Amino acid sequence: MRTLTLIDAIKEAYQEELRRDDDVFMVGQDIRGGIFPHTKGLVEEFGSDRILDTPIAESGMYGVALGAAQEGMRPIVDFMFGGFSYVTFSECSVTTGQYHFLHGSQRALPITMTAGVGTGQRLANDHAMSIHGTFAHHPGIKVAMPSTPYDAKGMFKAAIRDNNPVMIPWHMGIMMLKGEVPEEDYVVPLGVADIKREGTDVTVLANSLQLQNALKVADKLHGEGISCEVIDPRSFVPFDLETVLRSLEKTNRLVVVDEDWESGSFANTVSAKVMEQGFDLLDAPVTRVTLPDMPVPGGYMEDYIAPNVNKIEAAIRSVLARIAA
Amino acid sequence: MNTALKTTTLSHEQKVKLFTNLVRGNHYDKMMYRRMMQGKLIGFYHPAEGGVAPGVGACSFLNQDDNLNPHHRGHGIIHMISKGVDVRTFLAEHTGKDTGCCKGRSAWHFSYPEHKVYQQSGFIGHNFAPTVGWGWAAKRRGKGQVVMNCSGDGSYGEGRAHESLLMAQNWKLPVIFFCENNSMAIFASAEEMHPLPDISSLAQGFGMPAMVVDGQDVFAVAEAALVAIDRARRGEGPTFVECKTQRFKEHDIGTPDLRGWEERSDEEHQQMRNREPVTLATEKVLADDVLTQLQIEDIHEAALREIEEVEAFADNSEIANPTEEELMAAVFAD
Repeated sequence: MRTLTLIDAIKEAYQEELRRDDDVFMVGQDIRGGIFPHTKGLVEEFGSDRILDTPIAESGMYGVALGAAQEGMRPIVDFMFGGFSYVTFSECSVTTGQYHFLHGSQRALPITMTAGVGTGQRLANDHAMSIHGTFAHHPGIKVAMPSTPYDAKGMFKAAIRDNNPVMIPWHMGIMMLKGEVPEEDYVVPLGVADIKREGTDVTVLANSLQLQNALKVADKLHGEGISCEVIDPRSFVPFDLETVLRSLEKTNRLVVVDEDWESGSFANTVSAKVMEQGFDLLDAPVTRVTLPDMPVPGGYMEDYIAPNVNKIEAAIRSVLARIAA
Repeated sequence: MNTALKTTTLSHEQKVKLFTNLVRGNHYDKMMYRRMMQGKLIGFYHPAEGGVAPGVGACSFLNQDDNLNPHHRGHGIIHMISKGVDVRTFLAEHTGKDTGCCKGRSAWHFSYPEHKVYQQSGFIGHNFAPTVGWGWAAKRRGKGQVVMNCSGDGSYGEGRAHESLLMAQNWKLPVIFFCENNSMAIFASAEEMHPLPDISSLAQGFGMPAMVVDGQDVFAVAEAALVAIDRARRGEGPTFVECKTQRFKEHDIGTPDLRGWEERSDEEHQQMRNREPVTLATEKVLADDVLTQLQIEDIHEAALREIEEVEAFADNSEIANPTEEELMAAVFAD
């Protein structure tokens, strides 16, 4: 099968959906010129009316999407870097998340939001922070992030077709990751986790760049006879807890890798849910690999604090070292 | 008024409509105030008394498919009745009833998508961002729809206001930036919070035409609004209309009536009340032979009867009482 990079798989999702539905359009800053390659060249096919550049005015820019969605259109908003979404956070999170519910289910907001996120570029906090946990905290917005080119195309298409607001960032650390991507139309439904590697000794829940890291660790530990089941949540909201609990019936041990700050993170939510709903399945405490509660430093220091293969391996070994009661 | 802008003359029917909506709006505001004091309204109420003319002038000649963001003062009721929204479900919503326009979930965050009144936000100035989107969608459709974006002097402190002015003028969107300047944002005096006496001076920096009108004179407001609406419909872009208006009452019921940190003076109140908009309009329609005293009394009576029906609808409805499961199922759309 044909291979594409993750970023080109996202672009193909845009192209197919823009062709399929006239109500779909993109708004952002310098997306026509392709500040990141997922929008490069789109303006040539779809024109400046549908690949819309705004001034550096995030509220106004997001307002194009919000107002147009209320008018029945299906905007895709590109925040460029995830941290930039916070400039208009009250609109894109609070107002957007509450809209359908608070206003009596009269009108849904089919807005797709995206941005590049994550460590690896040594750009420091505002250009490196993860945003999925923060958006997941605010009810009314679906939140997802792809880990492979295949998922990227299918999940972005699912997000664009969803009648709800969806925040679907992509990790800059796997932007050029190559993988098989079908040329035909398909969607990967939001809210369905995916077992990326089957195993029996320990379950590792990881996403995006960290999913790729977890797979590397699983390969290495396989040589020692340790069998890791690696699950990609794919969506944080809605979250497919069932798949994780089913896996724990087999492995009884869970490591959650989440490239987000420890406090208030998705990893904590998973840990709490597993404790409440799967306590009897556990032979060891749920162990988390997260960013420490400090602003993400730039430069080489980023490498010391970000989740990586060594930290994931250490966490797996620590939960395996626990003797079942 | 900016000399480059055209002027308009109101017809007899337009004057009668404006006077009628002004009387209705004023009675609606007083009803809301009374109900809040009676404990028959949920949340809070930001009284509009003294500042009811701008909303009537802005909205009486909008079409159903024009977008409207109502001013938060009066909780938008004056703007909405002027646009033709049936507000029975608004009052039901504001009393927590299951017949409310938002199923009793919103307190006062009403929305009427079929009238393109999409939201009332709890954030002042959060009209400005979606206004760009409404304007952009209207322009893209090319059917001559306009966006009436009403908010107060205080809202123009938000950076969003400036972004919205920038983008609306850049793209020549059919938007009316309709500023109801009552010179008060909670307690803060506009004189102290803005560098120039006219908020509409902002428009100059974007090359946007602007008008300043007497916001106590509903007819003057409507003339300005019609000029701006006409420009927008013809694709000539946005206009800034600033109405100099008043706020007779405190910010919201129960807060002290301060300017800055001091009680507003009796002199200020007396001066304001000399320019009460319904009194001014009544004098004018009588002097210009638009309406007789008898017709005026009929208009008041009809307004009071209408409001009685609106209150009865709310009062006779049940308190919304969904289960938590039902509410959870409503967080996302299908």
